[in-house]
Amino acid sequence: MEALDNLSIGFVEVMTFYNIMIIFMGSIFGTIVGALPGLGPSAGIALLLPLTFGMPVTTALCLLVGSYMGTMYGGRITAILINTPGDAPAIMTCQDGYPMMTQGKGGLALGISAISSFVGGAFGLIILVFGAPIISKISINFGPPEYFMLMILGLSTITLLAGDKMLKAALMTFFGFAIGIVGSDYVSGYVRFNYHPELIEGIDFVAIIIGLYGIGEVLFNIEKLIHLDLGKPSFKIREFIPSLKELKQITMPTLRGSVIGTMIGILPGAGGTIATFLAYTSEKKASKTPKRFGNGAIEGLAAPEAANNASVPGALIPLITLGIPGSGGTAILLGALIMYGLRPGPLLMVESGTIVWTMIAGLILANVILLISNIMLIPIFINIIKLVQKYLSPIVASLCLLGAYSLNYGMFNIWVVMIFGVIGYGMKKFKYPAGPLILSVVLAPLTENYFRQSLMLAQGKFSIFLLRPISLGILIVILVIAVLSIVNNYRNKAKKRVMAN
Amino acid sequence: MKKLLLLIFILTLIIVGCAQEPASQPSEEEPAVEAEVEEEEEPAEESSFPERPIEFVASYAPGGGHDTLMRTMLKIIQDEGISDASINVVNKPGGSGAVGMAYVNGHAGDGHYLMAATSSLITTPLTSDVGLTFRDLTPIARLGIDPELLLVNAESDYETLDDLINAGKVLNIGGTSTGGIEHIAAIKLQIIAGVDINYIPYQGDGEVVAALMGNQIDMVFTNPNSAIDYIKSGDFRPIAITTEERVDLMPDIPTFKELGYDIVVNIYRGVMAPGGVSDEVVAYYTNMIEELVATEEWQKDYIERNLIVEGYLPGEEFGEYLEEVYLLYEETLTELGLIK
Repeated sequence: MEALDNLSIGFVEVMTFYNIMIIFMGSIFGTIVGALPGLGPSAGIALLLPLTFGMPVTTALCLLVGSYMGTMYGGRITAILINTPGDAPAIMTCQDGYPMMTQGKGGLALGISAISSFVGGAFGLIILVFGAPIISKISINFGPPEYFMLMILGLSTITLLAGDKMLKAALMTFFGFAIGIVGSDYVSGYVRFNYHPELIEGIDFVAIIIGLYGIGEVLFNIEKLIHLDLGKPSFKIREFIPSLKELKQITMPTLRGSVIGTMIGILPGAGGTIATFLAYTSEKKASKTPKRFGNGAIEGLAAPEAANNASVPGALIPLITLGIPGSGGTAILLGALIMYGLRPGPLLMVESGTIVWTMIAGLILANVILLISNIMLIPIFINIIKLVQKYLSPIVASLCLLGAYSLNYGMFNIWVVMIFGVIGYGMKKFKYPAGPLILSVVLAPLTENYFRQSLMLAQGKFSIFLLRPISLGILIVILVIAVLSIVNNYRNKAKKRVMAN
Repeated sequence: MKKLLLLIFILTLIIVGCAQEPASQPSEEEPAVEAEVEEEEEPAEESSFPERPIEFVASYAPGGGHDTLMRTMLKIIQDEGISDASINVVNKPGGSGAVGMAYVNGHAGDGHYLMAATSSLITTPLTSDVGLTFRDLTPIARLGIDPELLLVNAESDYETLDDLINAGKVLNIGGTSTGGIEHIAAIKLQIIAGVDINYIPYQGDGEVVAALMGNQIDMVFTNPNSAIDYIKSGDFRPIAITTEERVDLMPDIPTFKELGYDIVVNIYRGVMAPGGVSDEVVAYYTNMIEELVATEEWQKDYIERNLIVEGYLPGEEFGEYLEEVYLLYEETLTELGLIK
């Protein structure tokens, strides 16, 4: 129980009035930043970083990780309220969160997602405290072939999301791949489609998300003259605290989401995003009533939210044990650690153990503060939306453009958002799913790179995917899923035919 | 009802204000600005530089290498009283440095901008048409160099460079992107030392180090900063370093040169001003940086902390050095077919 001893030392360090206030402010700041479309964990940490230079190291780290966790709580708010996910891991929250909002159960959606976020975060933290050294030892055995297989597993969730619109989903997946090609390719050294300097790093997928979901939704609502009727402002607790029955209903989905989030969140690049997609689709698959998914199923809301938050401590594991950042947010944390005079790497826990444990204690405290404050904030968020529902379209549109500007503080991403807004409108009108498009934009470059790296490693032999046990294991899982879905499809069709006869 | 609407309006304004924070960021962060505002009201003489606050431009987001350099410089300049000018760090991320370069180039002739410069200063304009080259800017100083270390996993059978040369098979070597400095070093290793290699590009130093940790590859080229802890912990075995002479920080690691192979490649960290600035501006920055690099704080907080090898060069010599580096990249990238 050495871990517990260390953690208690961390808690002693953290429990000063100043530190608690700092964590509180960081959490609230993170929640607001995360709620704004376009601003995610990276932006939240980057905005606070320059303010931390005068602070003691532990306080500074508490502020940063508090706001990091806060952005994960915040991302769900706009996803549920206005169908605009702030970042890729929040996309799956829209799937069932926004339908709940339109059914007048937005408060409940926020309440449920806050609780499952808390559980997910807490689960991830437990793994971080007790399992970090072991997990980091396992994770270094993951090379390009294993990552490639995981990307394929992630992409295969598209078939499950697509339902009966398989062809349209496939079309969107290829479109996403085409978008993902743009930008510099470190494997070949070429820069593709670099017609404009801003395209050198590729098209920012956050801008694509804001356009497809935010602006697309606004345009669609204007055309259909949809008036949301969300009712009058009210402050009834029952509207946002889930009942015992509902809590029971989300217990298993939340726990499954937490496990998936922690395990997959450790992966660099797209861990959090893949985790939310896998958590959602596995719930849909496991459910006896999959038809409810996409129409406001609370399990479909709880699982990805738990996965999303569980991925935060997950991404910290490679950072503090190996000095390797697993996500955009942890990449900036890495820079911060170096600026504070720490050396992230295998010796960090040995040389600066107390500071790391204080940071973890701060994260645990932040998770509790965030649960409480997010539940308290629900009536405010809901009632703001209810009050401005008549003017919601222009407000959403301006928030989206503001978010687009803040991605790089330039006009370029505003154009990207507007173009994808029109595309998103067309997709909604003709019922093309947006999820597969975003997933493949995020995963396409990674899939491509891992594939080529694998073949380079094997010096040209395709057998590398079969000769490595972990890679082979994931391949078998993918094949089993594929075979099962095909068999299921045939059975359903056969049943229908029997019924028709 | 009206009151509530007003409340909403105010809340929205607050949210908008939060999102716009970066725009007003510099004035909020650096209290120095306020103290210096009064100075602006004094009649500005022709010969007195700076006439207004100076911007230190970092072409990557906070936490990145450019940002760390500019903020450390700023801190020492203020702590040691090297200059009483008010200075702000401004981040212009995007386009692999292209956005920041274009920003500084857009202020040609105006000396109130100083930009951090690393390898992207040359490679980004070479591989993409960004409408400018490093020659459009004024070199002020090279502050240090990042050498490259050749490392193997401590569990491997390879102990020395000769073991690698006589391996009798094609060895997988990891590094960052194709056409980058580590790729160039690997190509030299093949041509000059005759090690049979297959280069595998990874995204970033972290992935390179992880790949060697997990024995995914036989060896890597990476900078001392990412590798030193693994050398100390006994996980990695250093084979050789790409400097002219042994480095004080790692005196036990032989150079390729002393092993008989002329492999000297490294990347630089420096600062550039916009093109067409007056001699007075160049002299101002040169004095400032000469004082800066002589401080103990600089040694401790930048050079040692980031494991950089000292290599100060003043403006003109830095310019000549950049020309050499440009030729090296142009030649390699053309040979690789990455540029025409």
